[in-house]
Amino acid sequence: MEVKLEKRFPLAVDADRAWLVLRDIRAVAASMPGAEIGEQVDANHFQGTVKVKVGPASAIFGGDVQLLEIDPPARRLRISAKGADRGGSSASMDLTASLGVVDEKRSVLVGSSHVVVNGKFAQFGGRLIGQVSELVLAQFAINFEAAAVALPSCPAAPASAARQVAGAMAPRKTELSAFAIMWSLMKRWLRGLFGVRT
Amino acid sequence: MNAPVERVAALAGIGDSRLRKEDARFIQGKGNYVDDIKLPGMLHMDIVRAPVAHARIKRIRKEEALKIPGVHAVLTADDLKPLKLHWMPTLAGDVAAVLADEKVHFQMQEVAVVIADDRYIAADAVEAVGVEYEDLPVLIDPHEALKPGATVLREDLAGKTQGAHGLRTHPNHIFTWEAGDKAAADAAFARAPVTVKEQLLYPRVHPCPLETCGCVASFDPVRGELTTYMTSQAPHVVRTVVSLLSGIPESKVRIISPDIGGGFGNKVGVYPGYVCAIVASIVLGKPVKWVEDRIENISSTAFARDYHMAGELAARPDGRIIGLRVNVIADHGAFDACADPTKYPAGLFHICSGSYDIGAAYCRVDGVYTNKAPGGVAYRCSFRVTEAVYLVERMIDVLAQKLNIDKAEIRYRNFIRKEQFPYHSPFGFEYDSGDYHTALTKVLDAVDYKALRSEQAAKRKDPSSPSLMGIGIATFTEVVGAGPAKMCDILGVGMFDSCEIRVHPTGSAIARMGTITQGQGHQTTYAQIIATEIGIPSDVVQVEEGDTNTAPYGLGTYGSRSTPVAGAAIALAARKIHAKARKIAAHLLEVGDQDLEWEIDRFKVKGDPSRSKTMKDICWAAYHEPPPGLEPGLEAVHYYDPPNFTYPFGSYLCVVDIDKTTGEVKVRRFYALDDCGTRINPMIIEGQIHGGLTEGFAVALGQQMPFDAQGNLLGNTLMDYFLPTAVETPKWETDFTVTPSPHHPIGAKGVAESPHVGSIPCFSNAVVDAFAHLGVTHMNMPHTSWRVWQQLKTSAVAR
Repeated sequence: MEVKLEKRFPLAVDADRAWLVLRDIRAVAASMPGAEIGEQVDANHFQGTVKVKVGPASAIFGGDVQLLEIDPPARRLRISAKGADRGGSSASMDLTASLGVVDEKRSVLVGSSHVVVNGKFAQFGGRLIGQVSELVLAQFAINFEAAAVALPSCPAAPASAARQVAGAMAPRKTELSAFAIMWSLMKRWLRGLFGVRT
Repeated sequence: MNAPVERVAALAGIGDSRLRKEDARFIQGKGNYVDDIKLPGMLHMDIVRAPVAHARIKRIRKEEALKIPGVHAVLTADDLKPLKLHWMPTLAGDVAAVLADEKVHFQMQEVAVVIADDRYIAADAVEAVGVEYEDLPVLIDPHEALKPGATVLREDLAGKTQGAHGLRTHPNHIFTWEAGDKAAADAAFARAPVTVKEQLLYPRVHPCPLETCGCVASFDPVRGELTTYMTSQAPHVVRTVVSLLSGIPESKVRIISPDIGGGFGNKVGVYPGYVCAIVASIVLGKPVKWVEDRIENISSTAFARDYHMAGELAARPDGRIIGLRVNVIADHGAFDACADPTKYPAGLFHICSGSYDIGAAYCRVDGVYTNKAPGGVAYRCSFRVTEAVYLVERMIDVLAQKLNIDKAEIRYRNFIRKEQFPYHSPFGFEYDSGDYHTALTKVLDAVDYKALRSEQAAKRKDPSSPSLMGIGIATFTEVVGAGPAKMCDILGVGMFDSCEIRVHPTGSAIARMGTITQGQGHQTTYAQIIATEIGIPSDVVQVEEGDTNTAPYGLGTYGSRSTPVAGAAIALAARKIHAKARKIAAHLLEVGDQDLEWEIDRFKVKGDPSRSKTMKDICWAAYHEPPPGLEPGLEAVHYYDPPNFTYPFGSYLCVVDIDKTTGEVKVRRFYALDDCGTRINPMIIEGQIHGGLTEGFAVALGQQMPFDAQGNLLGNTLMDYFLPTAVETPKWETDFTVTPSPHHPIGAKGVAESPHVGSIPCFSNAVVDAFAHLGVTHMNMPHTSWRVWQQLKTSAVAR
């Protein structure tokens, strides 16, 4: 099961400030519903987990996150993650995220991801994976923006940025719940009934 | 003395619709299936399976699982290696991994097994086994698998250019198999004024029996004896295989197939679960039970079909077919575990000239490896006969449409005529008997075919009609009863079958068979044959099957072979008893053997009807006062090697209405006429036909095993995989003609698979016929509403 997503999320913060969050993989993970970064294995490798729940099926994908590229001039991050769940599922993701300048106070987060899911999760959850991925990313953008907004107005020195970013994170849900997904799908369906295109 | 008609009725023999003997226990929940078997100290096994379809195994971590209280062992390929059991031979001359050895080749492949005190602990321990995979490119499409430079799936076969069936032309190629006369077929096509060609996909489906596969293996370390209760359609062959693999003498291996909840080919093979449970029982010295769940059954045990067929017909303008050519790409999955007679890697696919007298024919099948589960069994059919019948029945419709000839008429023009039997087909089969014209005429009259075609023509002219109407015809011939040992063997054992009958002093009898019933009603029909042959009531004839310690060696039940092969063995064993009974009767009546005549249940002295001995009297005498020089007792054994296959046939007609708005296919009428030769129990035949038609309906209208690009099987639960219930199933109308097989002792041909084989192309033909006036010549199965609706849109008739 393969999902490819190209997304643009407008942010109400400037690109430099948003970059302080994006360049920090722990902060990025903290914005991702259900994701957590654990031990750092070496300069570019981390251990991590992602918890997802779709209806009765829940999975905790544990595995490796690899930092492929951090390009400050382009404000671009590339990571690759791969993990497996004990219940017989596995997943991998390649993600490229970059920030574009809109004006002095606004920027845009451009994300491109390629997710592959195998095993029981693909078999049971296959019908919902597209929608779930979209919702995860939408929630990610909201969390991400909140993290960037919460930063002090002056860009801090790189060394302390990570700590500041982590401290600025708002409390968040640690997993994406089935209820949230169903509610969101329902809202879209209702909007569709009234001719609102999403 | 009762009247003869009453005595015949009292026997409830051949032709009697007596109730099934086995139903008393089944309807009361008193059946005894593998999962009902509980032995003292029994442990439970569960299987760690691969979530990915193609990957290298980097590491397997057992430690955490072994720490769970109640876990006895975790076995991987490395543990089986010292026993040389990490790979096993398949029925098709290939090898299959028992537990994935360094690499997984399909999703849900067996990677490790866990043995624990109970099923729950085993399931927890499966989750605690950590397996690290390194993904490899996945090949799902067999055409892609054959391209130059395609990923090599079977690294274990590197450099082997000769397979079990000749040259392998690509690392993912298994075999090329040809039948017929290519030069003659090519010549027919070169001179034919009309040719048609169509690409037909027979999708991968699964037999999906109600009871999944499983076993209870119990090794007695003191006696050195292995007893295994197993869901097997061929227990004797399994015993031979287990003995060869384990080194335990065959006399100390006992395989018992208890009650079996449906097989349909799925329970022919030997699966890794059986092997691992047996190994675990030997290693641990305790009984080990393994029963798979539904997802495991659909995902990993034997599938059926997956034939990508290119069919071609060459004909004269009047519709007379002069040539047939077929090229097939056969997707066999990761290991070639196709269950076929050894010499026939594509089974009996070369029955694909069907009921038609075709001068020249040729077929070629290429087997291919892909990242899918192995199998390729005959799902309620005789070895690939379903695929063959689908091909020819679809192609003759394609030709009829091209020539604008009625689909019944084109069949009449091409049928093998009654007087041509025994008929030699261009592929080398000798059809035993048939009367195709009579059968089709009976069906067309019963449904008023002309009126149906008129109604269809009117609907086609009416743009406001809410539905499309289709009429499908299939006039099929099967080849079943494998088979003559000179042609058919499994692992070198000829495909005979056997029967042992012991008649008791009081006139009852027990018959033991080499076959095994899975719902066919053997305990009833076999007893009926004995009843008629030796004149004792079928009520007092016990039939036992499935225990290799008591039954004579037989090749098992699949491919509609029980009645054609074992049914003949019974009749001939009974005739041995009958012959001895005649001698005893002559002694008792003090006349010569030739002075007696047989009547229903007794020998009478010719010319003196007052003097007779009933079979009951003779049974007592056999143990009490046998004639001088004749050994006491009344027993016989017969091993029957059939001289030929049998060729059941039928004429089916189906009317469908397709909703132009939803694409839903409604079966308005289905009329099935079968000719299975002599009919032993008409009620059981009716039940078999209803079951086969329902499974055919399932295949044609809904069953499929879709895979995504990563090799995930997206239809392995009953949420997705279509098993029709009484709600979806149409009403069936059945009919019959009787054309006995001339070479079978009682003229019977076998019936259980005809309705499956014959109905599937009939449904497809009906659906395509609904679109025929719009230029559609073929639609691949399954004909689900979604897929049919897409055709409605393509043909611009959707509403």
